[in-house]
Amino acid sequence: MMEVEETNFDELYEVYACMQCGKCTGSCAVSLRSDFNIRELMRIAILGNNEDVKEHEEIWDCTSCGICTVRCPRDLKPSEVIVGLRSILVEEGEVPSTIRDALESIGNNNNPWGRPKSKRADWMKDLDVEVKNLSEGDEAEYLLYIGCTASYDTRIQKVSRAAVHVLTKLGVDFGVLGEEEPCCGSEARMMGESGLFEMLVEDNMNLFKDFGISKIITLSPHAYNTFTTDYKDYKKRLEEEGIEIPNLELDVKHYTQFLAELIEEGRLTSDMMNEFNKTVVYHDPCYLGKRNNIFKPPRKVLSIIPGINLVEFERREDRSLCCEGAGGRMWSEGTGTGERNAVIRVRDANTLNAEIITVACPFCLSTLEDGRSTAGYEESMEVKDIFEILDEVLK
Amino acid sequence: MAVFVFIEHREGKLMDISFEALSAAQKLNDEVIAVLSGENVGDLAEKVVKYADKVIVVDDPKIDTNNEAYTRVLDELIKKEMPKVVIMGHTSMGMDIAPAVAIDLGLPIATDVVKISKDGNIKVTRSIHNGKVLADYYLKDAETYIITIRTGEFSAEELSEKNGKIERVDSPLKEEITNKKFVGFVQPEVGGVDITQADILVSVGRGIKDKENIPLVEELAKIMGGVLSCSRPIVDYGWLPKERQVGTSGKTVKPKLYLALGISGAFQHVAGMKGANMIVAVNKDPKAPIFSVAQYGIVDDVLKVIPALTQKIKEIKG
Repeated sequence: MMEVEETNFDELYEVYACMQCGKCTGSCAVSLRSDFNIRELMRIAILGNNEDVKEHEEIWDCTSCGICTVRCPRDLKPSEVIVGLRSILVEEGEVPSTIRDALESIGNNNNPWGRPKSKRADWMKDLDVEVKNLSEGDEAEYLLYIGCTASYDTRIQKVSRAAVHVLTKLGVDFGVLGEEEPCCGSEARMMGESGLFEMLVEDNMNLFKDFGISKIITLSPHAYNTFTTDYKDYKKRLEEEGIEIPNLELDVKHYTQFLAELIEEGRLTSDMMNEFNKTVVYHDPCYLGKRNNIFKPPRKVLSIIPGINLVEFERREDRSLCCEGAGGRMWSEGTGTGERNAVIRVRDANTLNAEIITVACPFCLSTLEDGRSTAGYEESMEVKDIFEILDEVLK
Repeated sequence: MAVFVFIEHREGKLMDISFEALSAAQKLNDEVIAVLSGENVGDLAEKVVKYADKVIVVDDPKIDTNNEAYTRVLDELIKKEMPKVVIMGHTSMGMDIAPAVAIDLGLPIATDVVKISKDGNIKVTRSIHNGKVLADYYLKDAETYIITIRTGEFSAEELSEKNGKIERVDSPLKEEITNKKFVGFVQPEVGGVDITQADILVSVGRGIKDKENIPLVEELAKIMGGVLSCSRPIVDYGWLPKERQVGTSGKTVKPKLYLALGISGAFQHVAGMKGANMIVAVNKDPKAPIFSVAQYGIVDDVLKVIPALTQKIKEIKG
């Protein structure tokens, strides 16, 4: 039987309950374009020979979108089994060098991008408004958690600045952590480095406690997902090992949920916005949609923008086509060939005559924007975060 | 007093390090004796003897690419001829054989040496602390010293011709070596290019527009003495193979010069090349993020710049 940190695979993932029906493979967003076969990998987990895992380099193709877990008729979690199989490879050092570098960078620099910690607050340089910094003694009701990619990626830094503009205009009492902001660890866990993830959970919970943070608004669905689910699981796990984790009830919201609540409360209304006469299609990010069933809040926010022509993909909500940005795929191309899902997505948007594909996730923004250029729609289509649209329309 | 030079060869060809070792030996102004052992090595002796006073040839099928066999043969020859110094390359083969011989015969050894001189005793220089310090060592008194030399430190161009004699001796190896077997050679993939090792990278992106324009860039790369690399879309289009891709999901490169042609500079690409000593970018969009990491930039269509650059470099190079 395979084990992850001395716990066997059946205890962790109930792999013996798998009946090999293949619904997971039939649903998978990457088996469209690679040899990745989740049913076969479940079989390998059942048979339990570590050597078999090493022969499947396509294990790194998984984007961790989670559709297999959504659809499994036995309520198993194939997408989590992938994390377990990757853990075996990490423990044995059988990791692609680009993944190794990203993990090493999380350990050394607290971000997977190989960028120094001292430059994490660079996105704030061009800001024209004052922002509270909760690591420097400022106090605020909410922490706006930016995340690694939106801190360092020069394109996505614009989303971070748009977020600050919008929340400031709406009178939200919030602050950031600047250079002290840590990596949430979501991608480290997905790449199979559970030891590193445990360390981040411990460090980050202590850091939140030290800076008096309990309410968090995240830019990224990945940070949202890991703070609300993985942190709880790992807290329990760590406490069983005798490691004390602060008893902090974190109230975490993805920003689209937070904005939808402001609409409910009448604090965000159409009257506050200029006309926006564009055809816009919303792409559901997997970590918001499939993994957390958050479908309505982003649509609610978009729908109150005056003049907007909101259209929908045929494959939407829990059927949304994964953009292939997560599960470590920013640091590994995978074995797939042929057109990327992001390109397919952009073509779908084009048939809807969409002028803008809007997203609520930094990875989706990155992959779809790339797909737009590859497909040759640079002139006719934009890819924007919802925060960017709001920043544009808010008076 | 004689200096032994262990001759390395593989699949019927002499290795460059053998000539470098001969060059190192000649600097000691003593009798240079090359030791050429292996199976069917007779033809190679003619090429070696040009630079040695004597070549001792041991032709024995039992040696057959087995370092254990080479070691035992060398042990016996040293015992018989008593050379003052034995020189071989600090190669995987030399690293295997030299310490074994030193242990077998109880001789002092100096490894990975960059300079050898005679200053009363034999003096060797080794590069330590990642090349920051050169340390001189005198070897303590002994009948024979074993020395391995770093590749590329002794120039084969400085060899003087000696045209000595070839001496065939019977193999001292009495029986097959059974504790170690030679299995076979595995050749690296043919045509494989390692862009991480290049000093000059000429890199193309989407701005190149058409696959038919790739040869233009290839020509420029060739004339600059550089290697062709690219951004991700070029691999997606199938215009260049995956091994040429620079970026967080491709290769991280640190060339002396990175010429970015029609690459906008997406974060994932920049993260894979910002360690380059010098970045020169050509892009028609003045707002392209690549210009924020480039030391020099040209705002223009790459398809105009590439031929002009090729032409200019041709002129300079004559």
